[in-house]
Amino acid sequence: MTADVHAPRTNAAQALEALLDAAVDAVIVINHASEILTFNRAAERLFGYAQQDVLGRDISMLMPEPYNSAHAGYVDAYLNTGKARIIGIGREISARRADGSVFPAALSVGQIRGAVPPRFVGFIQDITTRNAAIEALRYERDRAQTYLDVAEVLLLALDSSGTVTMLNRRGQEILGYTEGELLGSDWFQTCVPESSRASLRARFESELNFENSTQTEYRSQVITRSGEIRLIAWRSTSLTDADGHPVGYLSSGEDITERQASEDALRQSEALLRSAQSIAQLGNFELIHPNGPNTWSDQVFHLLGVQVNQAPLGIAEFSSRFVHPDDREHFKYEWAQARIGQERFDFEFRISRPDGEIRYIHSQGVVSAHPLGELVTGTLHDITDRKQAEYELLVGQERLTHVARLSTMGEMATGLAHEINQPLTAIATYAQAAIRLMDASGGADPVDLRDALVQIVAQSLRAGEVIRRLRAFVKTRTAHSESIEVNRLVEDIRILAVTDARVNDVRLVLQLDPESPVVAGDPVQLQQVLLNLIRNAIDATRDCPTSMRELIICTRPLGDGVEVAVIDHGTGISDSVAPHLFNPFYTTKETGTGLGLAISRSIITAHRGKLGYRPTPGGGTTFYFTLPQLVGV
Amino acid sequence: MKDKPSTVFVVDDDDAVRTSLRLLLKSVGLPVETSASAQEFLDGYDADRAGCLVLDIRMPGMSGLELQQKLNDMHAIVPIVFITGHGDVPMAVEAMQHGAVDFIQKPFRDQDLIDRINQALEKDRENRDGLRERDVIRQRIAHLTPREREVLDLVTKGKANKVIAGDLDVSQRTVEIHRARVMEKMGASSLAHLVRMVIEANRTH
Repeated sequence: MTADVHAPRTNAAQALEALLDAAVDAVIVINHASEILTFNRAAERLFGYAQQDVLGRDISMLMPEPYNSAHAGYVDAYLNTGKARIIGIGREISARRADGSVFPAALSVGQIRGAVPPRFVGFIQDITTRNAAIEALRYERDRAQTYLDVAEVLLLALDSSGTVTMLNRRGQEILGYTEGELLGSDWFQTCVPESSRASLRARFESELNFENSTQTEYRSQVITRSGEIRLIAWRSTSLTDADGHPVGYLSSGEDITERQASEDALRQSEALLRSAQSIAQLGNFELIHPNGPNTWSDQVFHLLGVQVNQAPLGIAEFSSRFVHPDDREHFKYEWAQARIGQERFDFEFRISRPDGEIRYIHSQGVVSAHPLGELVTGTLHDITDRKQAEYELLVGQERLTHVARLSTMGEMATGLAHEINQPLTAIATYAQAAIRLMDASGGADPVDLRDALVQIVAQSLRAGEVIRRLRAFVKTRTAHSESIEVNRLVEDIRILAVTDARVNDVRLVLQLDPESPVVAGDPVQLQQVLLNLIRNAIDATRDCPTSMRELIICTRPLGDGVEVAVIDHGTGISDSVAPHLFNPFYTTKETGTGLGLAISRSIITAHRGKLGYRPTPGGGTTFYFTLPQLVGV
Repeated sequence: MKDKPSTVFVVDDDDAVRTSLRLLLKSVGLPVETSASAQEFLDGYDADRAGCLVLDIRMPGMSGLELQQKLNDMHAIVPIVFITGHGDVPMAVEAMQHGAVDFIQKPFRDQDLIDRINQALEKDRENRDGLRERDVIRQRIAHLTPREREVLDLVTKGKANKVIAGDLDVSQRTVEIHRARVMEKMGASSLAHLVRMVIEANRTH
């Protein structure tokens, strides 16, 4: 249905018309004046015009602004210069339909040879769909590229010969090459350290040719442009073509150099922790009471004397299986307290191992609220050795304290002998006098005899009392605590103290405050302290004039306790002696052990008191110790 | 002065020991006076009273040794028996060196103590007798002329009459006359007797 307005129909022309009508593309012929000469069926469909509506009209009607105004210029320019801007090239243009809508179109233009004046034929294709597809493809490609670029993994594609065909940005960062530098290079030659090059290439080739290609994971080292070795965790898969032939190899790799290092560090610190726990005999645990998950460190199981990694262990089971029966109530109590307060716990108990061994455990930790119950975190510390050492130390100290008492008594032997000798002398003398009285010719005066016997009894008791005190003071005993009236304590030690005082011609004066409280303590140890202070004071006083040879032992209530002081007017303590005063084995005496004050201080400290000294006003020294009042008395 | 009854003076700070000693000595008929301290004894001391001292060596205040020293300083002649404890031997030795009669350790057999007390009382009597004899000799010496004193000195030093005559630049005959006068005034029966009397006179006690 093409029409040639200037020429009659021919067969050839008819054939051409049929051809044009059958063409898929719109075909439009224009003359040099841009008038439309031919407009085929496809063109009618495409533009929405009927042939008769457009024939003879200017082609620019089919173009939107600004192309339509420019078109006449294009044709003129071509005809004048012979420089084609579109002819024989084809380009994308915008076209306008009859309804005014614009669509993208591919236009190819040819000049019809031999036609004078010149004619041009144009083929126009609606490329709206094609463009959309291309746009979609481009979008996909860009998105994929973005993925590749933002991916925190190295993405590497190799062809079947091992040549790099793609490397993403992260890969470039890791390896220090630009993609351009690596594309076309042999991967193994360039980026694999020589030591593993052969084995990795062999692996590559075998995976490439493995028919059922699957994803594989492995770790291998790469060498960067700067020569640095980095460790990469790879996931790889081989690529095949439609026929299943291997064409390449795609790998994603994660740089795990740092992670490996920190994993190594973690593993190392875990190992360190394990060995530290083992050495410290300290285990830790974290559990959710009552039925939540729980974790006990290996060392806990070692402490308990059972195999590591046993089945989950809750508090209740721990208590019933391992806590020593005698300590179970205590354990339950402490555990209940910790739960009530939801706070730190810190207590000791014994465990009984399956093999029967008993260990002392010190547990510390914290209880906090948790959706499943209570979160309990803590440690178990085997303190058996420490307990043993403490016990031995205690025994050692008691022994030492006892030795010091014996030593004191040894030093006081002369005085003590004298103190016992006096009543013995009186007894012997009374008895002998009584015998002589009875033997006398005139017979004895019963009053005299009775006096003698009464005195003998009294003096026997006196000697016995000294010996009793002495025995109480030196006998081997275990320290214990009882309630003590402080004034009574002072009175009791007086009998022993006075012997030394008498020997050294020193007077003892007691000033006891009747309000002095009752304290808790070991009476013998406290007497030992007091005797020690008195004897030191006697030594300090011995060389003084008679008027100064007086000691005052006084007690006085002091806040919530009592102070016992031994006041002398002796030589005082020189500056050179003072710093060493409480050091064991330091002595200024020829025969002293140097243990007296050191032991005294440790005894008082153990009684939660304080032992010290201050100058006596007017000269001399006052040694004192304090003891807390017995609560509830 | 003649034979006043002797007293045993007991000084001990221990009431029981002191009282028991008083009873013991009373049981054997010895007059006893007791003091609880050295000072108390000193305060009542009378040098003319015959007797002996039973003294505890270890006492507060003034010790037995200090009392002994004070008595010596006063030229007191009272004999002392010390009573000592077991550990006091060095002190007892010192006391002996300063003229104590004896010491006895507590506790003691009554007879041992009584024996020592009797020895001490005997010593006191001797002392007092000697004291009387010395007084007589000293009075006789006081009656000699200066020249006779010179001759007595030289004679008792064992010098012969001839040597004495040379020393005094007199004749040997003059020496013989002086010597006879000295023997007569001193009541000496022999040269040996004369020498003994001079030694006695020179003793302090």
